[in-house]
Amino acid sequence: MSLDHIVSVTIGGLTVGMIYALIALGYTMVYGVLKFINFAHGEVFTIGGYVAAFTLLTLGVNDGMSALAVAGCLLAAVVASVLVPMAIGFLVERIAYRPLRGRARIIPLLSAIGVSIVMQQSIILVFGSKPVTIPTLALSSASIVVGGIRIRVLALIIIVVSAVLMAGLTYLVKSTRIGKAMRATSQDMEAAEMMGIDTNKTIAFTFIVGSALAGIGGFLVIMYYGSLKFDAGFLYGLKAFTAAVLGGIGNIPGAVVGALVLGMTETYGVSVDLGFLAWFVVAGLVLGLYVQMVRIPRRRLQHIAEDRRTPEYERNLLNVYRLTPYHGVKTLLAERTDALLSVSAEHAVRLMAGNIFLAVVAAVMFVNANVRIDTRWQPVIAFVVLMVILMFRPSGILGEAITEKV
Amino acid sequence: MGAILELQGVSMSFGGLKAVDSLTFDVRENEIVSIIGPNGSGKTTTFNVISGLYEPDSGDILLKGESVAGLRPDQVHDKGISRTFQSLRLFSNMSVLDNVLVGMHSVTDAGLIASMLRLPKVRREEAAMRAKAREILEMFPGRFSGPRQQQPAFSLSYANRRRLEIARALASEPALLLLDEPVAGMNPMESREVMEQIKVLRDKGYTILMIEHDMHVVEGVSDRVIAMDHGVKIAEGTYTEVANDPQVVEAYLGKRAAEATA
Repeated sequence: MSLDHIVSVTIGGLTVGMIYALIALGYTMVYGVLKFINFAHGEVFTIGGYVAAFTLLTLGVNDGMSALAVAGCLLAAVVASVLVPMAIGFLVERIAYRPLRGRARIIPLLSAIGVSIVMQQSIILVFGSKPVTIPTLALSSASIVVGGIRIRVLALIIIVVSAVLMAGLTYLVKSTRIGKAMRATSQDMEAAEMMGIDTNKTIAFTFIVGSALAGIGGFLVIMYYGSLKFDAGFLYGLKAFTAAVLGGIGNIPGAVVGALVLGMTETYGVSVDLGFLAWFVVAGLVLGLYVQMVRIPRRRLQHIAEDRRTPEYERNLLNVYRLTPYHGVKTLLAERTDALLSVSAEHAVRLMAGNIFLAVVAAVMFVNANVRIDTRWQPVIAFVVLMVILMFRPSGILGEAITEKV
Repeated sequence: MGAILELQGVSMSFGGLKAVDSLTFDVRENEIVSIIGPNGSGKTTTFNVISGLYEPDSGDILLKGESVAGLRPDQVHDKGISRTFQSLRLFSNMSVLDNVLVGMHSVTDAGLIASMLRLPKVRREEAAMRAKAREILEMFPGRFSGPRQQQPAFSLSYANRRRLEIARALASEPALLLLDEPVAGMNPMESREVMEQIKVLRDKGYTILMIEHDMHVVEGVSDRVIAMDHGVKIAEGTYTEVANDPQVVEAYLGKRAAEATA
């Protein structure tokens, strides 16, 4: 396992993760404001890619052109891949979602699935069912060498552009007038209305921004991979949605973190040897042990009334979570003299089981250190990691920031 | 003194229930009018109709002579009616200052592109808004000073949340301020303080329509009192007139008690 390989795998993972993040932001923003999953969002991404490809093909971009002309073509493609999805996002919200707002939550969801099918078929109608392919440009295959490691320029562009867009979005939501309106609307739509916010406009704006980001994602993907299928949005959308849930749905930084975790997991899972991956499991194990032995007992202690929080009780609780006197824990489980200690003991046993599981997994991986997982298992790895994370943090890595109420 | 708000025969029903039944009253400039009445008498519904949450079935609502009935809540707010809520509805995850700034939404107009680019004009407007928001928060001396302005609203004490709601409603300098039980759940000292602040608001020229159950507060600040029962206005006048009105006593205490006092 060379350092070069690891760096290039990391960059690959970041690139994929950033693309997921661009799409995931649309899911999470709409969820934040409307508590509704816009399942047609993945198709908006595909349309962005197709429109970009269509623009490039129409303009006949190729390396024979002057650099300025190529840049012009790319600019036109970017503009098209932003404007068309924006218009579509706006129209879809206006036509398919707004009339159903305020109904039972399942109804707009069905509408979204319908819209998704309609959009996919529309792509086939307009562009045909064959994958769209753009000519290979010098830019898309260009690479630079840093410290002996070859990196695709386009990967760097994707990472930088996405990061800039996300910073811009954070600024937009945090500090601008419309961003404040978005946050207010997401927390209490009726109260926001009565404070003078036109919530219809705010929601439309949310859809437009989300769609623009997905459209740029489509442009970047067509540039990176050179071709796109009409149903690509399904898988990308699903993964981005997963990323949004993983990071905490409705939470904007969460969507980015979730997407990066997902992208990294997918890429690392199949690109490096098990012996290397095992170190991640070891890191997870260390974290798990820390949580079990330090963090949770500390938190539990805060829930105990002051007068009962004697040093001895504290020691007992710590012992329970450290499972030190094993027979003591067994007695506690059997006797149930103290409700909190008994519950904690069961909790500790469960946590320990999880940690032992991680240790066994790590050991198995170390034994098979030279094996590399087949690419076909990529989704499975992603799924397992997702499940493990969500088991311990049901509301996502960063939590559902917006829906959280006091 | 001209009328700021006029309700002309406003009715509102839910299914078969007439929550508000041909209600007519007005609020004159720089006046504090209180609406009292037992639970379920239609007070909050009246507020919701005025602030545009419901469209009245019949009748008209005039703000400075201009009809606002049937407008959306945000349009009503733009026209100059701002309100607080009986059950607190702050934007709990936003900071204290941001809550007040949201209240100014309808009086600011920074466009998206201008504010993304941080044009000087936008920066000036923003700075002015922040200064004004701080000034409004200063009305509650010591309650929202310094670092507390950056805290999320949910971290405030109950009484401070109520105060923040008033501050948020004042942010747009409304022609009419609707206060829905401003002292609900406060202790006597806190309600006295709020009462004084409401008087200060009147001195500053605000016009206030308020729902309140605390009779000390009603007595202390109201220029006029309107009593409602079953969606109907049953009495109107000064506090003493309304409090001694047999119909009002009956609505609160029952018929026998009303006869006993008469």
